[in-house]
Amino acid sequence: MAGPDDNIPGAPLPRPREGFGATVRRDLRIGVVAGLQTFWDLTKVMIPAYGITLALEQLGVIGRLANAARPLMEALGLPGDAAVPLVVGYVLNIYAAVGSMQALDLTARQVTVLAVAILIGHNLVVEGAVLHKAGMNGFVFGALRVVAGLAAAIVANQLMGLF
Amino acid sequence: MTEFLRSFATGSLDLLLRVFLIVVPIMVALELFEGTRAFRAVVRWWARIVRHVGLDERSAAPTLIGFLFGLAYGGGVIVRDVRRHDLGRRQVFIMSVFLSMVHAVVEDSLIFLALGASIFWVVVYRIVWAALVTLALTALAAVVLRRRRLRDVRRGD
Repeated sequence: MAGPDDNIPGAPLPRPREGFGATVRRDLRIGVVAGLQTFWDLTKVMIPAYGITLALEQLGVIGRLANAARPLMEALGLPGDAAVPLVVGYVLNIYAAVGSMQALDLTARQVTVLAVAILIGHNLVVEGAVLHKAGMNGFVFGALRVVAGLAAAIVANQLMGLF
Repeated sequence: MTEFLRSFATGSLDLLLRVFLIVVPIMVALELFEGTRAFRAVVRWWARIVRHVGLDERSAAPTLIGFLFGLAYGGGVIVRDVRRHDLGRRQVFIMSVFLSMVHAVVEDSLIFLALGASIFWVVVYRIVWAALVTLALTALAAVVLRRRRLRDVRRGD
């Protein structure tokens, strides 16, 4: 049974001739298989990446990177200590970054600027591994997210100063 | 070292559980609804928006999943669709740039809104920024690729 959608790339798989129940059962089966396959794909890259992340944290790399990033914070209109949640976000994830932001006393504007930088660049090792799996270079994308995130935060801070 | 192994074990389990509980339902839901008229209408509507950053209709579904739920989940759908529909490298590049700038808009944004960040900068500004960066990098990649091809032609490859 050739439908109009056949051969169009991106069109759903052709429907079988059976009734609604059979279609649903078939979709469920394909969905579970695709889900497990994707889960396994992600597991293979995420678990090693998570191990690296954890090692970076326990070796004190976060503290050293945060110290190096301190002078940069001025360009964002942030106190030097704001480098800590930023780097925690880069290496770990958004939740960890938010946790370490609680320790700081920031104005609403500073929270927003820091949020922009962290929302664009975070969880770089694990998410970089996912991008790598999709066929991109995880290192290049990690660097891109750090640079583009800081640039976005600097621009946001300047624009907020205008209004 | 035992401390490291213990946090690695519990952390990995936690991560795997979270990915499992999100990825499998998303994939099942996607498979169930992908063929329905309503889903295709949403994807077509989304495709009309992301067309402006150079994404075609095949890339619309993975981009939408990543935009709403997160890079890992969108990345998972990208991997599936690369396998299933042979998305071109250019499309994967554009999707990756766009999603690496903005993803999981609901969950990630809410965390910072709870801290008192402004919704305009965290959501609207970030989406505009993502679009601009995507357009800029796509143009840059096109120039680099054209140069490389010209050089190869001159070399006689």
